[in-house]
Amino acid sequence: MATLLWLQTGACSGDTMSLLNADSPSIESLMRKGSIELLWHPSLSDTPPGGLGKLIAAIEAGTQALDILCVEGSLITGPFGTGMFDSYRGRPKIQIAEALARRARYVVAVGTCSAFGGIPAAPPNPTDCTGLQFDHEQPGGLLPPEWRSGAGLPVINLAGCPTHPTTITRSLAMLAQDLPLELDFLNRPRLFFSTTVHQGCTRNEYHEYDVEETVPGGRGCMYFNLGCQGPSTLANCNSELWNGRSSKPRAGVPCFGCTSPGFPRDGDLFRTEKIGAVPVTLPLGVSRAHYMAYKNLAHAAAPLRVKNREMEP
Amino acid sequence: MSRTTLNIDLNRVEGDLEFQVDLDGNRVVDARCVGTLFRGFEQLLIGRAPKDGLVITPRVCGICGTAHLYTAALALERMAQLPVSPHATLVRNLCLMAENVQSDLRQSFLFFTPDFVHPRYAAQPLFADIEAAFAPMKGRIVRSTLAASRKVVELVAIYGGQWPHSSYMLPGGITRGATARDLMDCQDIVDRTIEWYELDVIGDSLDNWLALDSADAFFSWLDAAPHAASALGLLTRFARAIGLHHIGAGARYFLSAGSWHDPLRWQPPYGEPAGLLPAGLYHADHGQLDAFNPDIINEHVRHSWYRPYPGGRHPYIGETVPDYQPDTDRYTWAKAPRYGDKVIETGPLAELLTGGDQLIVSLLALEGPNAWLRQFARLRRTGLTLHLMKQHLAELARQLGTPHYLPPPAGALDQGEGYGLVQAARGSLGHWIQVTDGRISRYQIVTPTAWNASPKDSAGQHGHWEESVIGVELADPADPIEIGHIVRSHDPCLVCTVHFVGRAERHRYGV
Repeated sequence: MATLLWLQTGACSGDTMSLLNADSPSIESLMRKGSIELLWHPSLSDTPPGGLGKLIAAIEAGTQALDILCVEGSLITGPFGTGMFDSYRGRPKIQIAEALARRARYVVAVGTCSAFGGIPAAPPNPTDCTGLQFDHEQPGGLLPPEWRSGAGLPVINLAGCPTHPTTITRSLAMLAQDLPLELDFLNRPRLFFSTTVHQGCTRNEYHEYDVEETVPGGRGCMYFNLGCQGPSTLANCNSELWNGRSSKPRAGVPCFGCTSPGFPRDGDLFRTEKIGAVPVTLPLGVSRAHYMAYKNLAHAAAPLRVKNREMEP
Repeated sequence: MSRTTLNIDLNRVEGDLEFQVDLDGNRVVDARCVGTLFRGFEQLLIGRAPKDGLVITPRVCGICGTAHLYTAALALERMAQLPVSPHATLVRNLCLMAENVQSDLRQSFLFFTPDFVHPRYAAQPLFADIEAAFAPMKGRIVRSTLAASRKVVELVAIYGGQWPHSSYMLPGGITRGATARDLMDCQDIVDRTIEWYELDVIGDSLDNWLALDSADAFFSWLDAAPHAASALGLLTRFARAIGLHHIGAGARYFLSAGSWHDPLRWQPPYGEPAGLLPAGLYHADHGQLDAFNPDIINEHVRHSWYRPYPGGRHPYIGETVPDYQPDTDRYTWAKAPRYGDKVIETGPLAELLTGGDQLIVSLLALEGPNAWLRQFARLRRTGLTLHLMKQHLAELARQLGTPHYLPPPAGALDQGEGYGLVQAARGSLGHWIQVTDGRISRYQIVTPTAWNASPKDSAGQHGHWEESVIGVELADPADPIEIGHIVRSHDPCLVCTVHFVGRAERHRYGV
């Protein structure tokens, strides 16, 4: 059984909601079958006031083992580097996160805030916050780039705003069993971050034939005009549906790239920046010249049923 | 007896919370609701495109992002005087209802009832039943609540792609209209949720339950075995056995901005409130209901760590300039919203009182505001909400094929000011926006918990939570569970108060 402590820092609880939404495995099934022993979770523990303080002290003293530390929320260093914008019983949360990380076998950043900084770190970053081991795309956040947890891994970044529900529970279940978790260039587990959001999108045939919407609310692709970041964002939103039902692009909401370190980007979130007729940010790894040639042909090849938007995404 | 000060940190609320209470012996004689965690959301919005608020503000709060999204869309619609199709308003209401049901259920059985499974209550006759139903993560009701709350937000995902944190409401409508296929899915979700609510929560049919219209009718209903053994029956009997109907009164004025929107009345010029349940101010002491006036909402900073200004300011002219002053009588990052000069309570109890639920009106008249009634009203509202969801789906079936989005004319969002108000799960939520030359120039958010958890104002009046714990007798100051019951009965959402969240003691911001 792996012991787990879930620390909320500068958080909105969205990742906790996502954790509660995971149905297979669910957090309660992981606890009941003995994979996870939940030492503390801010929303779920029934410890009396002060209980967290005692637990932190025991972990720091080495009398309580900590297998998995989950951190939800941005790591707030303000004001003036004190971290006192976010504290527990007079101690900055950043100091607590650092101390617990030192004792943990695995450290998991749940959500884009603790992975990269996220929304609170958007300009003007009023609270001087950062991610655990990244500051946006720059390696090194609260912890330096070379930092490793007890098991020899960097902070595992379960990016997303919020993180996909079963990405959380399956990752925790894998860590509890000490299964290897291969990480990508941003220390996100490849298993959940190797496909683009574009992959599996039910608007793909519209994209394929360059049938692009200029106004929200329609059935076509949202990449060229409405700000969709699906082709350049690595996440499983369209290969493993949200709440077992859908994804934002399927429902007509552009992908805002929330698993990326640049989230939220500076430009208008519902508008695509373009060079000429083509988006500035191309699908991952594509060359501009080839893409333009392909798009010129695509529109001409579009079948009528696609041009007429007969498919319900 | 000597006067002592107790610092209490509470979990099982959304975000972190610390309460500082002064005791005379074991009796609470003063209270300060203290919090920190300045995330500065409003500052993040300045200079961005008007619609970016639809992506940023839902992220204020993981548990009520749909309410923020809805409010942000309303503010832009009022600003630009945009029409909205009834189809879109029906879907928006349905999604907000699903989110509220989720929140009410999780709050009741994941956050509130765990306090009943406390060693202090082991000698209570109902304790074994309470443990079987409500033990954290293991109890029968807790497990079925986890499944039911997971299920109901699937409805939001059908229209928004995911819950939490989506942006499917836009000024002028929604991104995806309902199809007959969606309706079948939504009907199944709502029917299953009602079935569970009937079986596990009330032990009766929804119709019978909603027909209860007086305290007498309710207490005789409670005598029947299936009702007594239901989650609500157990919660009520136990809460009353430990005296929660005698504590936690608070402000005695109840404010609701009006629940959900009438699809036909939510249209320009947006002069009158268009709530499906009426907005208003309800007086606990004589049952009077006054019309709602958003112009008299104002925020004080007399006891908050912001640059001082006299009196209160309306959100349109509000300012938020941090000014940390330890060792003074200022004690929090929260502002103090007031309705005129009144301290108010908002939330499900307020919503049902202004909405005219006769059972709740009768219970309030009998015993006054209290911690049990507040929690009871929350689960009562879940029933009403599920009933309205069914009605909405029937109405939506008649709107299939009608427009779901009316695109705003070019430049419509480039200039102006507007506000939106909804009843989120925890009460009245308002967004006030000003746009200059196509960019957001001011954004102010007043959340339900900002109302309820406010500090003292310029006139020295305590905030509602503070008021609700003053006078309480603690059995054991080392384990002040009474404060937990009272504060959790308000369903605190500290992450939502925007300017502040977190655990704080008074003298620790050594900047």
